[in-house]
Amino acid sequence: MSTSNSIDLRLSNFPRGSQLEVVYEGRKLPAFAGETVAVALLAAGVQVLSRSIKFHRPRSVFCMTGDCGACLMRIGGEPNVRACQTLVQPGLSCQRQNAWPSASLDVLGAADLMFPEGMDHHALMTSPRLLNQVMQRVVQELGGLGRLPDHAPSLSELPVGQSRHVQVLVIGGGPAGLAAATAAATALPRTDAAVLLVDAAPEPGGSYLSHAAYGRAAAEQAIAEARAAGVQILSQAAAIGYYPEETTDAAPPNSKGLLAVATPHGMFKLTADRYVYATGGHPQNALFIDNDLPGVMSGRAVGRLLTGHGILLSERPLVVGDGDEAEALSTALQAAGAQVTRIDGKQQQVAQAFGSPWVDGAQVQDQRGQQHHVRCDLIAVVSPPAAASQLAQLHGARVSFDPQHGFAVVTDAHGQTSSTAVLACGEVTGCGSLAAAVLQGRAVGAAAAAGLSG
Amino acid sequence: MSQKTIVCRCEDVTLWDLQQCFAEGYLDIEEVKRFTGLGTGPCQGKECQLHTCRLLQVERLKHPERAAQQPEAPQTDHPFTTRPPVYSVPLGVLARSGSASPHAPQAPAASKRKP
Repeated sequence: MSTSNSIDLRLSNFPRGSQLEVVYEGRKLPAFAGETVAVALLAAGVQVLSRSIKFHRPRSVFCMTGDCGACLMRIGGEPNVRACQTLVQPGLSCQRQNAWPSASLDVLGAADLMFPEGMDHHALMTSPRLLNQVMQRVVQELGGLGRLPDHAPSLSELPVGQSRHVQVLVIGGGPAGLAAATAAATALPRTDAAVLLVDAAPEPGGSYLSHAAYGRAAAEQAIAEARAAGVQILSQAAAIGYYPEETTDAAPPNSKGLLAVATPHGMFKLTADRYVYATGGHPQNALFIDNDLPGVMSGRAVGRLLTGHGILLSERPLVVGDGDEAEALSTALQAAGAQVTRIDGKQQQVAQAFGSPWVDGAQVQDQRGQQHHVRCDLIAVVSPPAAASQLAQLHGARVSFDPQHGFAVVTDAHGQTSSTAVLACGEVTGCGSLAAAVLQGRAVGAAAAAGLSG
Repeated sequence: MSQKTIVCRCEDVTLWDLQQCFAEGYLDIEEVKRFTGLGTGPCQGKECQLHTCRLLQVERLKHPERAAQQPEAPQTDHPFTTRPPVYSVPLGVLARSGSASPHAPQAPAASKRKP
């Protein structure tokens, strides 16, 4: 892959939205409605989206789910915007930040060579004092992410948001969340205040959109079923915290606690009789040398590009991982014309990635320590995601650690957590497969509705 | 580019950094966070926390005597204290989030700040 203007890695015969153009560092690039900035840039062959904070190492998309912080760019004149969560618009400007003179050739990357292993700042130029003072000035100048926005809106230009109370509030619009919301709405009389689902992504669907055996059609079907049952879906609505001491005018008298949800229309303060956390999981990388190279991506990011957006980044991908998600991804990549190398990530693991800036090979090691080189132009890491249990934790739900899924929410058979009126389902509870998450979601959604008056 | 195994992408914390930290005797996730800065970047630990907890489990088994030297630390697997916001929020969204309540402070009458 090179970065000439003519590159377009979109597959033909894939249904897309209307065509438009975004402006990437002064260059016009084609994009399609429904794509995010990151998707459009990757499709155009852009290899480096950002530079890392300390060593100024080149970075590109890893997770594609808004979790990893590797795609922060200056978009529409605002710094530190996640390119993978921002929908394209005609003429939208995007630039890389945090690099000098440019993100492609960043001389600040010298920091990476000066500290070949890592940076133990506890002993770094702490004496003599003069040196320490100089060092602190330099660090203050280099540190931080981005510059202030082009435009500071006045307070009256900013959206006000709103407060709402519903019977069942589902947080997360993936397979488990959609199933839970549908089941709850089916069990409850249809009113405006029955079931609300909030989803942080530009479009709901969650891991349906990244699992190559399901894809956009499955997501659209689940969304249609939810809407038909009466579920209200709020997209681009990121729950950012549960505040146990706060309340709103919309909540029943004497009740406490609200969920703060950030949307493009301001902050929504939501309260509910039952909260169902279906927040899924965060894609996890594997630990190997230069595991942050552009071109090392989560399997879900690769799957989302292929099945959600019809984009094939790679001719020779290396797929790392076992299980049905890795299997489905390999099959789909092969069907799209790629030459796939597959290792299971256990018997055979990646020891090192090569390439500058984009991946062009990997060293693979087996259990006896024997290594061989694999030529590849993408490393797709498929591993169990870490349970996204932060919101449930803030809401008082107990979590327990398991080395595979991280801090999963502890529930009983009906999805009830240790916190009153708080339920959870899907990957956030350590649920293993998409099909199992749907079944669990249905049961938990029905349990959430049970006992609520109509 | 020099060879690094990155555990925390946001703050560029490497496996070597963690090994230094373990060698100092820090075997609790909160201590590791404070010593290395891991988990304090834009993603707030979504990528590094699980890896670090796995490494800590192994390290505690390897050095039970070191783990026992630190009675004040919980020494069990627990997450960092979770604090909102769980995802990054534009300040503009927070700026008026209080105004639905009658107790919210009034907007200043003349806001003439230039960008």
